[in-house]
Amino acid sequence: MSTTLTEGAAILIVVLVGFLPTEIWRSLAVLAGRRVEAGSEVFHWVKAVATALLAAVIARLLFAPAAPLLVVPLAVRLGAVAGGVAAFALMRRSVFAGVLVGELLLGAGILFFAR
Amino acid sequence: MGGRGRARLGEAGLFHGPCKCYGDLINYSRVLRLSANAFMPQRSPSSPTIAPPHRSALAWFFSGARHAISVPALVLFASYTGFGALLQGVGFPLGAGMLSTLLIWALPAQVILVGGLVAGTALPALAFAIALSSIRLLPMVVSVAPHMRGPRRSTFLELLCAHYVAMTLWVEGQRLLPHLPGEARVPFTLGLGNTFISISMTGTVLGFLMAGSLSGPLAAMLLALTPLSFSVLMVRNASQLTDWLALGAGFLIMPLVVGLDGGLDLLIAGVGGGTAAYLVGRWHRRRA
Repeated sequence: MSTTLTEGAAILIVVLVGFLPTEIWRSLAVLAGRRVEAGSEVFHWVKAVATALLAAVIARLLFAPAAPLLVVPLAVRLGAVAGGVAAFALMRRSVFAGVLVGELLLGAGILFFAR
Repeated sequence: MGGRGRARLGEAGLFHGPCKCYGDLINYSRVLRLSANAFMPQRSPSSPTIAPPHRSALAWFFSGARHAISVPALVLFASYTGFGALLQGVGFPLGAGMLSTLLIWALPAQVILVGGLVAGTALPALAFAIALSSIRLLPMVVSVAPHMRGPRRSTFLELLCAHYVAMTLWVEGQRLLPHLPGEARVPFTLGLGNTFISISMTGTVLGFLMAGSLSGPLAAMLLALTPLSFSVLMVRNASQLTDWLALGAGFLIMPLVVGLDGGLDLLIAGVGGGTAAYLVGRWHRRRA
């Protein structure tokens, strides 16, 4: 889990792998402006892939997390997220309520099960 | 003039849909209401307000900065605190992490970058994944750009202002910018955007430092902030069948492939799962 990245290498990665692929869309929007089909099939595909990518990264952060979370049982991690999502759905779709309930469940779960 | 204004409004409305469901993650319950309001009657972007009180560019910059101090800023701060904790958790250097907030300025892309690096994803594949996750910025910029132009067109200033566009500035910009006189828009945007980024960078540092000094349950809870809030936000942003399928595919395939060499797991679960979700969704749309 430990990456041995130097500050310099990390900065280079942030610029080349993070900044450029992001900024290109903002720049294209300014330069190429309005000739973009928002409802096209390509957009549907990109949106699906972007959603699945993010879901996959989040799943990875839950199933194979960094040290402080790794000591928490997997069932507690997943239960906290499921409880947070349920609280969001039940409490008038409040993101704040969902995150708060999820955090509280996680804390309670750690106290009960991880001792 | 009125006709042009209406045309612009139509275009903005067209782009409104896709951006909304793209699911940016620095998103909050006000978004839907606000962005709905943002497309209500508004002035034509280029029409000057009648006899505005003259203020210097610097005064408009600080006016923008003041307007940044708001509930959305609080959400940003909390989100980036979680990101800072994530950096500390995976051993990503703080300086580069802060630079990612300043330069990338899109939390999903930042989380994919850091998470992908830890997973050992090959860099070209990671760049591809980040580019895909950031396409949603394009329609956002297209719809808000007309409100960020000064009276004199300057490509450099337009590119600079576009950099600050992410979910928060997009929503607040739609709300605030149309009411400003032309000469105010660029400095106001810069004041607003730079303050948002400063707040987020402060959150990044704070999360990083707190995660380093906290231990036990509190460290775990801080580290859980990112996956927890993103899970809730993704569920909130899912509206169509394809969204739900993509969400489920990414989340459920990942544990099966986690640990594959070269970050293949992210590509299989993300690109593979997303493509499958798109195909099933298209089949369903066509059949309906």
